[in-house]
Order: sequence, then structure tokens, then C-alpha cells
Amino acid sequence: MMRTPTYGPRLIGGAAFGVMAIFFVIPLIFMIVVSFYQPDPMGFYKVDFVWENYGKFFSSFYYTVSLRSLYSSALGAVLVVALAFPLVLFVSDLGRKWQLFWIILLLSLMCLSEVIMGFAWLILMSESAGIPRLLEWVGLWDNPRSLSPSFGAMMIGLVFLGFSIVSLILYPAVARRDRSIEEAAITLGTPPAMVFYKVLLPTFRTSLISVTLTMFVYLLGVFVMPTMLGRPQDWTMTVIISDKALGDANLPLGAALAVVMLIVTVIVLIASALLTQRRTA
Amino acid sequence: MTRAHYLITTTAMTFGLTSAAFAQELTVSAWGGFFEETLAAEIYPLFTAETGIEVKSIAQPEDSAWMTQLMAAARAKQAPADLSLVVDEVLIRGNEVGLWAELDPANMPGTANLTDGYVQMNDSGKAFAVGALAFYTTFVTNTDYAAEAPASWAELWEPKWDGKLGIVTTPNSGLLEVTATTFFDGVEVLETRDGIEQVIAKIAELKPQVSLWYRDEGQFQQSLESGELNAGLYYHDVTMLSIWDGLPVASTFPKEGGIVSDAYWVVPRDSENIAAAEQFLDFMSRPETQALMARTMGIFPVVPRESTDLTDEEFAAVGSEITPIRVQTHIHLREGDWLETKYQEMIAQ
Repeated sequence: MMRTPTYGPRLIGGAAFGVMAIFFVIPLIFMIVVSFYQPDPMGFYKVDFVWENYGKFFSSFYYTVSLRSLYSSALGAVLVVALAFPLVLFVSDLGRKWQLFWIILLLSLMCLSEVIMGFAWLILMSESAGIPRLLEWVGLWDNPRSLSPSFGAMMIGLVFLGFSIVSLILYPAVARRDRSIEEAAITLGTPPAMVFYKVLLPTFRTSLISVTLTMFVYLLGVFVMPTMLGRPQDWTMTVIISDKALGDANLPLGAALAVVMLIVTVIVLIASALLTQRRTA
Repeated sequence: MTRAHYLITTTAMTFGLTSAAFAQELTVSAWGGFFEETLAAEIYPLFTAETGIEVKSIAQPEDSAWMTQLMAAARAKQAPADLSLVVDEVLIRGNEVGLWAELDPANMPGTANLTDGYVQMNDSGKAFAVGALAFYTTFVTNTDYAAEAPASWAELWEPKWDGKLGIVTTPNSGLLEVTATTFFDGVEVLETRDGIEQVIAKIAELKPQVSLWYRDEGQFQQSLESGELNAGLYYHDVTMLSIWDGLPVASTFPKEGGIVSDAYWVVPRDSENIAAAEQFLDFMSRPETQALMARTMGIFPVVPRESTDLTDEEFAAVGSEITPIRVQTHIHLREGDWLETKYQEMIAQ
């Protein structure tokens, strides 16, 4: 009898690990190293070991900006999931043809670049061509004003960006769910309106939490939507980091800010993982 | 100020690395968008016709991002382009770390035509940059909403804009110098940190009027043309193009002057085509070439006006006789991170 060789999957796993090490860990180490360099406004930077770049984070408004980023990404993530989950439930109950239609629609939304989406929303919210002009025409708004830039506009942009991703992550599990549990609940007297809260939400609790966390991390890194649709007061840490690193060619400060954001993100993720685990146990 | 038109980021790098393969080909990079396209279509073919040297034109991203790429390439002993168009801030910082090749003015007789100061010399008396063009930033308005051209920069502070101003986010846009000239009797106030803080506080008064602090020029231009914004700071040359296209915009030189910025050609240190690059610079410095660039690109020539055949009308389209306001690059470099953070805090807090 021949033994099934098992080194194949291991080899693939090893290769994937190697790729991760080269394209993720090494740049990360380089970023951490650069964050200790001394920025040189007349040139570029000097190889050094200073805490100055980190000191700046705690002594100035970067602190406020990072809290702001955490807030807007968390709110965005919750909104995306709160909107996408009901839609996925609705789609999963449709006929095969319509399900396919929705999936293709969501997939094609993912093909659009962030910049194109940003510009589309910009036009939709402009007072000369968009929704405000429409409301004026219908007679609902006497003196229409552009809806962007604003916090709301930025949120819409963030939600739009994450919507198809969340829907497509949730779809397989939701479509395959055991519908007999819902039927049993109804048979046992749960009002149909309560099935969503009593049955569906608890069933998908873990996947909803994990997809919300994924979205939170994803939205933390978004750059175009805050700059195009947000006010300066809404700009996230990503915007400030790129201003520092690219705009002012101050790589050490940009790197230090990025490292701090990374640490904060990891802490938030670990904390929420621990919290959900405790509740499950 | 950044001059990459629209959101062009890192594509330039991928095109440039193979440049040095043929001696009779020069890779020239310029700000992506209108500038790069017009140079490639109108100017470079004339140089090729005269010298037989082919020019490969590539688009470069905004200034600091491009400098970061040039730095990384220099460390790998590569030149992404044989020639590159940069603003003086990049020029000075690059020179400080030895990014640019040294050039011999004797090989570039055309550079004698340039207005004094446009051939930049390093400490050892060698040239490292040659003036390419100058461009103005002016007070632009949408004529459907502001029929009368503004007479002074002080009008930016008047409440008449209905909260529809668009201003650049970066501190080197020239707004600091404009504010200093208009309200503090000149740019000297910027020499001390106290003075800078006063000027920034004055700019902060604009905040209720500004609905867009832009870093993407495309977004500003589109918003101004559609009337979404009524006024702001923008490039004179691009605005003139919009006017010729019949759009309801105007570009005004207020009585305090427009903001002038200089752009230079530099040769990255690792370029292998320095002789051909010098020929190129010789060609680009001639009054005929400068006049042609003024006509086709709307730039302000870096040769004295008398040496060109520009008519009064053509000259008025690209600049003004009013003494311009100059961005104080030495202050921006000296105050570096402190100034940038103060400015950003003023906007984003």
C-alpha cells in the first residue's frame, strides 16, 4: 500500500509563510527602524535612534486625530454590517436568478476604484447636479446646499466602500443556514418579527462580530473617502500619515505614527477577541 | 505647492528604470497631466528634430512623493529619469543630500539667456539645476457667482463667498506669504515663529468660509467650474485653459501680486546621459522655446520678456507686471515640521 505524500500541502503552506515574511514582516521591520531615525528638513533623514517621533504623537493633535479615526472606523464598521446583514438575509431568500443578480451587482461594485466611487458621491451630493438639486426640484428644499464635505458624506462613502465586501463575506453562511430553526421558532409561537432578534442574530453573532472587526481594520486604512468627502475635522490618521510621509517627505514621523496606529489597532482587536470569548464561555 | 494634476501616485517609477539603455534616448519626467502631455506633444518633438535624440516622456507624481522615489532610486544607483522637473524646495533638499548630477554651463550656452539666478550653483561652483519655467497661483473665481474680479487678496476674508472657498491644504501654497503681504506689510513677519503664528491665526479666520481644503487639484477645478465653489487659490495656467474652453471662471492678479513659483530641471546623479541632458537644457533655455511654452502651456517664461517675441496680449495671458509674491522656501525648509504641524492643526482641529 502506498502512503499518501503529505509534504505537498506543507510545501504550499511554507511558501505562503515565506511570502508573508518577505512582503509583510520585512517592510514592517523596516518601518519600525525608520520610525527611530532623525528627520532632516534640509535633506531627508539621518540614521539615528531617537524617541522624538513618538514623543510628537503624545504632545500634539495626532492624539486627537487617532481617537477620531478609531471612532469613525468603528461607527462605519457597525453601520456597514447593520445594513449589509439584513440585505444578505433578504437576498438569500430570493429565487436562484435574483440571488445571482445581486451577487454580480455586489461583485461589480467591488471592481470600482475608491477614487471613482468618491467622485460619483461627490457629484451625487453636489448642489449643482445631485440630490440637493433634486430635492429643490421636487420642492422639498428651498435653498439647496452641497452635502459634502461633511461627516455624514464621509460615512456614506465608507459604508459604500465596505458594503459589498461585508455582504459577500456573510452571504455563503447565511444562504446555507438551517431554515428549520426559524420555522420551529415560529411554530413554537415566536412572532415572525421577533425571529430576526431571537434566532438569526444569536446564530450569526460570532460571524457578525468578526466581520465587524475586519471592517473596522479595513476602514482605518481608507484614504480617499476622508480626503474627498470629509471635512478637515474628519480627516483620519491615514490622511495625516500620508501627508507627513509623502507630502512633507518626513518618513520617520510618518512611520512612527503608523507604528502607534498599528499598536492601537492590535490592542483593540485583542480586547474585543477576549471580550467575545468570555461571553461565549 | 504640489503640481501633480489629479491623483497620480506611483506609476512613474515603473516606467523609468530602464532609461539608461540607449545613449540617444532621454527619459524626461514632468508633473503628470496637462504639463507632461503638452511638453511631450509640443516641445520635445522639436528637440528631437534638431538633435536626433529621442525623448521618452514620463509622468511624475507630486513633488515630495517624487523626491522620496528619487531618494530610494539613488540608493539603488538608479535614475528613474534623466531629467526631472522639480520645485525649488525639492531642488534644495535634493542638493543637500547629493541627489543631483553636476552640469557644465559651458556645454549649455543657451542657459546664458535665462534671467539671473536661474542657473543654480552648488558650493563648489558647479551647476546642478537649470530654470525650466515659472507659474503663477492666483485668485480664481467663478464668474456666475462673482461677476466682479477681486481687487485685493483681502477680499478672501470678506463674508461674501457664502462659505464656498477652496484653499490648498499644504502650508507651501503661498497663502502664508499672501496673508503676510496683505495684512502684515510683507513677508518679513514670517522670519520669526511668533510672526508665523500671527499669520496662521489670520488664515484661521478664513475657516468658516472654506468648504474645501484641497490636496487634489482635479477636485478643486471641477468644483469651481460647476459653481460648487465660488472662489479660491489655483493655478493661473490651468484656469486660462478653462477660460478658453468657455467655462465661467476667471483668474485675477490682485493688487498685492500673484504667487509665483519656479520650477527647475535637474539631472538625477545616476543618469548615464548627462551630455544629452545638457543638450536638452541648452534647447529648453532658448527664448524661442520659452515663448513656445508660454503659448502652449500658459507658463511664465524664465528668460527676460524682451528676449522673446511674445506680444503684449500673449504676455498678459501668462503673467502680470505686478511684482509677484514669492513663496519663502527658506522659511518653509527651516521651520519644516514645526510649521507643517501648526498649519495642519489650524486646519484640522
